[in-house]
Amino acid sequence: MSATNCLRCLSRPSVSRGVVVPVFAPTRTAAAFSTTAVQNAMPSKAKSAENQDRSVKVYRAGRKMTIKKKSTTDRGKPPGPGERKAFRKKIVLSNDNALPVPWVPEMEAGSLSDPKQVGKIVSLPATLQDQLRATEAFQPTQTWGLFRKPSTLVREESVQLMGKMEKAVADKTTARIVLTGEKISGKSTMLLQAQSHAYLNGWIVIHLPDAQELTNGSTEYSPIPNTENPTLYMQQNYCLKLLQSIKKSNEKILAKLLSVSSHSELPQNITVNQPLLSLINAAKEAEGAWPVFQALWSELNAPAAANRPPILLSLDNLPHIMKPSAYRSSAFEPIHSHDLSLVKLFVDALSGNTRFPSGGAVIAATNRNNGPRIPSMELALKQRLAAQKGEEVERKDPYFKGYDERVERVLRSVEVLEVNRIGKREARSLMEYWAASGLLRTTVDEQTVSEKWTLGGGGVLGEMERAALLTMRV
Amino acid sequence: MVSLFGVNFHEAKLVQKALQHFYALGPQTATRIMAKHSIHPRAKIGTLSPKTVTALTAELSTMVIESDARKIIQDNIKRLRDMGTYRGRRHAMNLPVRGQRTRNQNMTAIKLNRVERKG
Repeated sequence: MSATNCLRCLSRPSVSRGVVVPVFAPTRTAAAFSTTAVQNAMPSKAKSAENQDRSVKVYRAGRKMTIKKKSTTDRGKPPGPGERKAFRKKIVLSNDNALPVPWVPEMEAGSLSDPKQVGKIVSLPATLQDQLRATEAFQPTQTWGLFRKPSTLVREESVQLMGKMEKAVADKTTARIVLTGEKISGKSTMLLQAQSHAYLNGWIVIHLPDAQELTNGSTEYSPIPNTENPTLYMQQNYCLKLLQSIKKSNEKILAKLLSVSSHSELPQNITVNQPLLSLINAAKEAEGAWPVFQALWSELNAPAAANRPPILLSLDNLPHIMKPSAYRSSAFEPIHSHDLSLVKLFVDALSGNTRFPSGGAVIAATNRNNGPRIPSMELALKQRLAAQKGEEVERKDPYFKGYDERVERVLRSVEVLEVNRIGKREARSLMEYWAASGLLRTTVDEQTVSEKWTLGGGGVLGEMERAALLTMRV
Repeated sequence: MVSLFGVNFHEAKLVQKALQHFYALGPQTATRIMAKHSIHPRAKIGTLSPKTVTALTAELSTMVIESDARKIIQDNIKRLRDMGTYRGRRHAMNLPVRGQRTRNQNMTAIKLNRVERKG
């Protein structure tokens, strides 16, 4: 291959020069020390007259490069503060384009606890929808927005769970249950079903929709005066929000219940025999929210209130309250989640320290999506599950230091309910409902059910929805 | 606008960022101050009560920040200069102090190193 440069004169064939003069060619030189070829240094005089007359020197000939300024595109008004979050958290519960399914009955008080109902679809009545909306039981990641009316599948686990709740009420005890299971296997929906059952049976429901909000350092906190070893912390703003959601979702029941003791410490003096609703109404600002919540909680748990409706206390995303929180004490020590008063209240109930006078249930659901890994919790749940099945219980790793005794104490005697994969019979009835809604455009037979069931990880409900409803393949 | 230690901040500003705005107050000190006053990590300055803002201002006024902290640095450099040390000389000449090369890449030193150092 030949070189692109001429090895003698370093000129390249692509560069056009008037005359290529080899360096060693005999040329006339202008000066003794100049190495510039004469033809190049002094252009020949025989040029046009114009050139000679020109007094202004032109340094750059040819076209100048001009850079066009980019025209600014109008991107419109950016969303206002809070608008993006509102859009992200928006919950749509109906889709007018989906077909109504006439054969789906409305949920009734006993629908979810009846073993005959397993594998059937039931729809949520309008009032219940409002109540569940108030407690933030619906999540934006769930597929409520695809169907005409929010409906839910009665699963075997649902019947088991409701059975436990009903038994607790009959015995006037507190069922303490932790829901575990794979990612998108329906743990949060199971919580929603538990709440629906509670609302339809006239329970009082207190639901903490996302444990993460309590512990990731995103709401105001302050130490509660006169608490030492350990100092407890209240979360006023969250408390106010919770009180409002309790009020909105349990309004009818709370209006009927009367207070059994007076609460003179509150800004608005509450005397005996006043409806609990007016007690909640006493919390107008975040400042006084925690004392009001405390008063409400003591009213609900007062021994004199044995004939009151049962209580359901539920929480989603359990692992988030089983670790040190993102808050710091005034001495810059990390605050353990269990020292946050609201979390403590829940954890006391879950561990069995608080007993509801007229019975009830404490239900927590774990989460697998963004949940932190809590070795103590994982081990405790495994141990409880093995003990329930009568299998050998796994022991603590003696060389591992990451266990948390406070977590172990809470989960020492809870009941664990695994939300498993659904069976093919349940899958079939679910898919028939999807097809009747016009969302699944194939005939539902043995083969398609089997296909979607397998594609959905062997009956993981959320995965089945992904495989059948959320893909564009028709 | 919320006035903290004589500086006005927009309500939507994070408290952490507002504190770090002051010279010689970094992330460590800022988080410690916030923990001391029970301000959560994601708090915006607009949500603080006037009482807390006053307490923060009082706290900041006891600390060595802003002009006081600058004065300390300037005094240190001046001391080196007065002693006639090499480091003092290099500061005065706006050149790198710690043996860096000066052929290239010394713009930061030229910009910052001087006897009356700004910050």
